[in-house]
Amino acid sequence: MIALHDVSFGYAGTERPALSRVNLEFQPGEFSLVCGATGSGKSTLLRILNGLAPHFTGGSLSGSLVIDGEDVTGSKPHELASLVGFVNQQPESSFVSDTVKQELVYGMEQLGFKRDKMTDLLKHVAKLLEIENLLDRPLSWLSGGQQQRVAIASALAAGQKILLLDEPTSALDPEAAAEIVGVLKSLAHQHGITVILVEHRIERVIELVDSVVIVANDGLVTKGGYEQFENYHLVPPVIGLSTELSWSPITVSVSAAKDNWNQSPGSWKPLVNEHLSEAVAMDVKDLSVSYEELDAVSKVSFKVHTGEVVALMGKNGSGKSSVLWAIQGGGKRSTGSVKTQFGDPKSLSAAERLCVLTLVPQKAADLLFLNSLADELSESDKFAQLTDSGTSKIFESLTGRLDPKIHPRDLSAGQQLALVLALQLVKGAGILLLDEPTRGLDYAAKRSLAKQIRALRKEGKSVLVASHDVEFVALVADRVLELESGKLVSDKLAADALGVGASHPTQISQITGVPGLLTLSQVEAVQK
Amino acid sequence: MAKRFTASAASPLSWWLLAITMAVVAGVSQSALTQILVCSASLIAILMFREEAPWSRSVKFYLFLAGFVVIARVLFRIAFNIQNPEDTTALNLPGFSINLGFGPPVELFGAVSVEALSSGATDGLRLAAIILSIGMASSLANPRTLLKSTPSALYEIASAISVAINLAPQMISSLQRVRKARSLRGRSKGLGSMAGTVIPVLEDAIDSSLSLAASMDSRGFGRRGNLSKSLVLAARLSSLMAVGFLSVGSFALLVGQTQTLGWVFIAIGIFATFASIRINSKSQIRTRFEPVKLQFFDALILSLSALLLIAAILGWFE
Amino acid sequence: MTLSGKWISNLSILLAGIGSVLMFSWPFFISGDSAVEADVAQVVFIALMPVMLVLILVEVATGEIGSKQIALLGVLIALNAVIRLLGAGTAGIETAFFLIIIAGYVFGSGFGFLLGTGSLLVSALITGGVGPWLPFQMMAAGLIGIGAGLLPKFVSRVAKLSMLIVYAIPASFAYGFLMTLWNWPFLAGSESSISYLAGAGAIENLIRFVQFQILTGGLIWDLGRAITTVALIAITGPLLLGSLQRAASKAGFAKPSKQEVANRAKAQEL
Repeated sequence: MIALHDVSFGYAGTERPALSRVNLEFQPGEFSLVCGATGSGKSTLLRILNGLAPHFTGGSLSGSLVIDGEDVTGSKPHELASLVGFVNQQPESSFVSDTVKQELVYGMEQLGFKRDKMTDLLKHVAKLLEIENLLDRPLSWLSGGQQQRVAIASALAAGQKILLLDEPTSALDPEAAAEIVGVLKSLAHQHGITVILVEHRIERVIELVDSVVIVANDGLVTKGGYEQFENYHLVPPVIGLSTELSWSPITVSVSAAKDNWNQSPGSWKPLVNEHLSEAVAMDVKDLSVSYEELDAVSKVSFKVHTGEVVALMGKNGSGKSSVLWAIQGGGKRSTGSVKTQFGDPKSLSAAERLCVLTLVPQKAADLLFLNSLADELSESDKFAQLTDSGTSKIFESLTGRLDPKIHPRDLSAGQQLALVLALQLVKGAGILLLDEPTRGLDYAAKRSLAKQIRALRKEGKSVLVASHDVEFVALVADRVLELESGKLVSDKLAADALGVGASHPTQISQITGVPGLLTLSQVEAVQK
Repeated sequence: MAKRFTASAASPLSWWLLAITMAVVAGVSQSALTQILVCSASLIAILMFREEAPWSRSVKFYLFLAGFVVIARVLFRIAFNIQNPEDTTALNLPGFSINLGFGPPVELFGAVSVEALSSGATDGLRLAAIILSIGMASSLANPRTLLKSTPSALYEIASAISVAINLAPQMISSLQRVRKARSLRGRSKGLGSMAGTVIPVLEDAIDSSLSLAASMDSRGFGRRGNLSKSLVLAARLSSLMAVGFLSVGSFALLVGQTQTLGWVFIAIGIFATFASIRINSKSQIRTRFEPVKLQFFDALILSLSALLLIAAILGWFE
Repeated sequence: MTLSGKWISNLSILLAGIGSVLMFSWPFFISGDSAVEADVAQVVFIALMPVMLVLILVEVATGEIGSKQIALLGVLIALNAVIRLLGAGTAGIETAFFLIIIAGYVFGSGFGFLLGTGSLLVSALITGGVGPWLPFQMMAAGLIGIGAGLLPKFVSRVAKLSMLIVYAIPASFAYGFLMTLWNWPFLAGSESSISYLAGAGAIENLIRFVQFQILTGGLIWDLGRAITTVALIAITGPLLLGSLQRAASKAGFAKPSKQEVANRAKAQEL
């Protein structure tokens, strides 16, 4: 269906090519996953397939692209629009109209289809994606999963045979993500559409895809099955375990890994339980946040000790964000008190608060507004009245040295987060609140963030992090609090909350069934 | 029982056409009665046909606005009064004049005549009638539907406007979110923090605009038919003609005895405008899924507008 | 579009600008013995101004307008419309213009016109505040955008900012003058002591107009507008220029500078 011959691609001004002499083929009805590190050419590869690269993104392309037997090298996106559909991360920012029906017919209108044909195709694609009952609804009323369905339907409305998706589940919660991936699989296997998906949260799709394409940082691309993960390490723990223990073939599902482990369990070392200080850095009592119609948070009480990392887990909407903002004092707090060494943050002025505790919001980039990294760092020094570029010191300890002229928006998500951390920690706050910091981060960035948090912990800082990412929490937390509908339902040590039989077990504990074995880092590698 | 007739039963174009003819009627008429009739008709239409929508304002609002306009006008007339000894005095106020240091001194107050008051009120009513009739269309005509009916020559602009209307609520919540986040940095509020609030929202907006553009292109946006060189030239020239004739015609209308010539030029200008739009629309090869269809109520409204317009031209309302 | 086509287009836009100013300032020119009632003139121009707008839009929009420009225009219009609504209601605080001026400068006259016209239109549409003044506001804001695009391009950021600030002052007053001009016949009619005098010629009417401006406090509003706009340009200008410049090269309005290319290259390698 699709064939790439000797395709190379480079962006202007870079010496290293994004893609280098790629030769790939995709069959009709194939469901394929493209993965690679952040900054590799995986998104570029996708965009070459529908002409967005180079016509939209800039850069130069060589080699040839053949779709359905026709050589379409160099075609513009609108020329390929009737063959190839494209879906982005954020469905909301790709919508052009205000109702579902209008969104679905947009592509057909652009392609000049006759009205009768449009009506038929509209019915067909609505049925395909099971959104017939949503047709007249305004797009803003839909849930994330529904919006993504509409985006997919809109990309396939004109009868396209190929569907390209760039991280389509990143804005969705795990249930909605699983649904969408199931839909994609049926589109491929039951309707013969070639579905190619870029995704870095591999665990969401790996068991359902037919093939895997790996894009390396030097632009080389390979396609094949799971065996490629031997050399590719941005993978979920189940695959990591396979490679560590040199299992062959590499297992991608928890149940298969369980069988392997049961046959020949590996050796492992227990969690190092660093002695936690008994001193209480923060004492939260009976915290409640109520709005007119609902109680977002009800009488939550817990303590955080000095040098302790506490994770706050719970579904979307369980009140984690509200708890953090209520503690910080900037958000609504109906009742309750927060005791710290310097008093209740709510009673301090905004500037004083930064010396006690600091909150990093969900979208870290909201706090960045200057034109270069250097400007952000020096502005922060000025504000904190430092003369020794303290902010850069903190930043460098987190991410290492970077070109100071870079525009903050050009930094990767992980680097932006590190920058905001540095800006917020510059006044020496002892308590750090993080609201869903792992959004937008790939495995490497998450490991890096976990390392940063553990380093801060060594310095004696206390961290309260809200996250629904079980594996990340396992890397970083000493204790886990669980929120459900605004109420605190459990307060356990990490080993108990994330281990065997708990409500949020990590993959490793699911596979091994060993209490106290949570993460891959505890497992000792087996040499082949 | 037939469904109650509400605003969206008729096409927004019809509402606007009706509103414009009503405004024309109000504009050319000298009689206060006509103005009051136009005001009432607008208010009644709003009351009866209004639907729940963000652009749809209440009758109370328009009543208020109309009242405000009339009162403002009358007060203005009283303040900046020109005394005419032949008229019957209604209010005997002390008159004085202000000298601003240049030009003739400005006369204020003094004996206010009945004629002055009534002409002030009539003028106020006229302005109110124009505002209300346009307000009627603004409340009853769905702007999104209106945008879909624009001629293809303006498709790109209409797209941008429609994107803007869809994104405005998102902008508001983005600005609120960023303001909340900025409070975390312990900075000052007020005008000085504008940069820190606008820039992150702007950057997000720019990124999402690229996403949007990619989505548009991927679905086929950008296909263009090719106009022959001569047609392109014809399009440019007809625009030029239109602008020229409209400008000169307006000038002729105002100055001296060239009234008829002025009207003729304006008519030519309007014709040329249509021509330009028509030619420019030829290069677009999109189709429309739900093209605007005129139905029964549209016919009703359009006939009413036509009648009013003819009557106005014939001078019935003067 | 052929070169001659572009010339004709620009000529149309120029004429349209002049014609529109005429439609604003008709009280200066109306002759005493004109058979046309002033009221008819007012109504006619309310109907003709939208036509002028459409003609300019047609000339600005045809050509190489791609999806990136439309999307960027759409989001900037949305942002500016919301910014305008934030400032509305407070006397003299007019927040709508600083973005129009800065964006018009970075992206060019056509974009400036579209941003000016579009933001006034959208802010009226989403609040239902459409009235006979709207086409005139749109045109006046559009003219400010066109003017900003015609300013000379400097290299140093300080020079750019100073020029924008220097432009903002007469531009804010010009907008105020145009809208007060539109207001003048409606509020003062033709028979009050500071009305226009048909047939009295442009100079005498100009004097009367300025008297009207002073006595109704219009000048104070205009001063407020100028101060707010200048302040906002000074505060946000340096950063906005940077962000918009990057957007311009991303959206294909301008070639990226060497520094930008290097930055993006480094970002790719991160």
